[in-house]
Amino acid sequence: MPEGSGLSRRDFIKLAALGTGALSFLPGCAPSRSREWIFLSDTDAALLGVVADRIIPPDSWPGGKENGAVRFIDTQLAGPYRRFRSDYRSGLDAMTAACSGKYGRKFESLAPQEQDSFLRAMESGALREGGWTGVSSGKFFAMLRDHVMQAYYGSPRHGGNPGYASYKMLGIDYPPLIGQNRYRL
Amino acid sequence: MWARSGHRDFPCKECHGTALGGGVHSLKEKSMMLVHHFTESSPGRITLDERQVLEMMDNCRRCHGTEYARWISGGHSATYGAIFLNGKHNAAEQLNADCLRCHGMFYGGTIDSLVTPVSRKGPWSLRDAGRSGEPAIPCLACHRIHTEGSPASAAGYDDPGGIFYSRRPAETAAAFYDRYEKMYIRASALPPLRLREGTREVKVSDDPRGRICFQCHAPGAFHQAGSADDRTPRGVHEGLSCLACHDGHSNDAGESCINCHPAISNCGLDVTTMHTTFAEKGSPHNIHFVRCIDCHTKGIPPRRGARASGPDARERD
Repeated sequence: MPEGSGLSRRDFIKLAALGTGALSFLPGCAPSRSREWIFLSDTDAALLGVVADRIIPPDSWPGGKENGAVRFIDTQLAGPYRRFRSDYRSGLDAMTAACSGKYGRKFESLAPQEQDSFLRAMESGALREGGWTGVSSGKFFAMLRDHVMQAYYGSPRHGGNPGYASYKMLGIDYPPLIGQNRYRL
Repeated sequence: MWARSGHRDFPCKECHGTALGGGVHSLKEKSMMLVHHFTESSPGRITLDERQVLEMMDNCRRCHGTEYARWISGGHSATYGAIFLNGKHNAAEQLNADCLRCHGMFYGGTIDSLVTPVSRKGPWSLRDAGRSGEPAIPCLACHRIHTEGSPASAAGYDDPGGIFYSRRPAETAAAFYDRYEKMYIRASALPPLRLREGTREVKVSDDPRGRICFQCHAPGAFHQAGSADDRTPRGVHEGLSCLACHDGHSNDAGESCINCHPAISNCGLDVTTMHTTFAEKGSPHNIHFVRCIDCHTKGIPPRRGARASGPDARERD
């Protein structure tokens, strides 16, 4: 065992047993969903992409969707944001149902002005009487808005903002160009 | 990305190892992938630890022997020992976390877990003396393997344009490994250098490969030319890319003068015999900063075009 590996002998044996034992299960595995997403379905992803583009619409810079909002949300829901999974399930279902009840169409099919109007109603909590169930619409909207912002302005290592697009938009150089050399050759 | 990369014909295990063949890191990583698979959670980004990165260099060497030979002959093959056990460094530099940004990109610990004492009094020693001979700037510091591209193929003579003037530039594998984010930033996505000499804006080449050089050979926080480790050419060579003179792997610039001089030299001097060394303070024609006035001390003659005009001007000059 290499010194400083941070793994005890007991942990090492556990991992070895798990690693080799689990191999026997692999032939039985079959892809159960689209390989594109870890947690989201393709339908969820399509809806979230449209919402992200209404929260941060594209202009000469990428909008929320193009700048990785859906990838960020999916990655985080399969990781540190697991606690929001039920809110997403409930919120996306409620959004689809409420939109269908109000307009008779899916959110993705609405005109941009209608989409904005629906999102404003979500934000204000006015959809409670419109067939919205589960997590409150205001709470769900606030969560969506926060996560789209985090995706857009955060580091690409979290799943969004590929190529540091928002940093470039804001004129922030990354990585910063700062030399440290204190003596001359 | 992997399926579209130039290395797509190599199996993953060539670099990432097998569950039982890549040491503790690999075993832990592969086991956790199974756990994540069954719990529908994200395994996060798959990374190589420094041990794997160094072992992988043997794979690079198998196919890229010439590049490896050039790299080993140049300054970027410096080992931890060459950098951190250097007496001149000891006396002049204060160790800090940022040293590892360029001298130990893949080192998994902190500067004080690598070197002691963290002071200028020194003498510095490596906590793990075995690291002394290990390269601090391995191949993967500047090369991203998962880069979109195709293996080289034979030229298509039925489409001459595709061989010459309309050849599409290949996506370069050159990228900078950012140890803080633990991810690569491709050369063209790195920030361009904005450099000033006093208040004057210095022309800097927009060669994206040079942006990797600027990450480490960078000016101080105020971006003044010549500060900190800035070596951006000014004077007669202003605007040239680092790669115009330096070989990308060996950094050797020994043959670079002859590429342009004296054939297109404006003055006809044999510049290959001039003292142009960058490393010596006394060099009168420091290649990075030499200016016309350094040779033409009595005044710079007008350009040929300004001095002579007319149909026979070329013959006269």
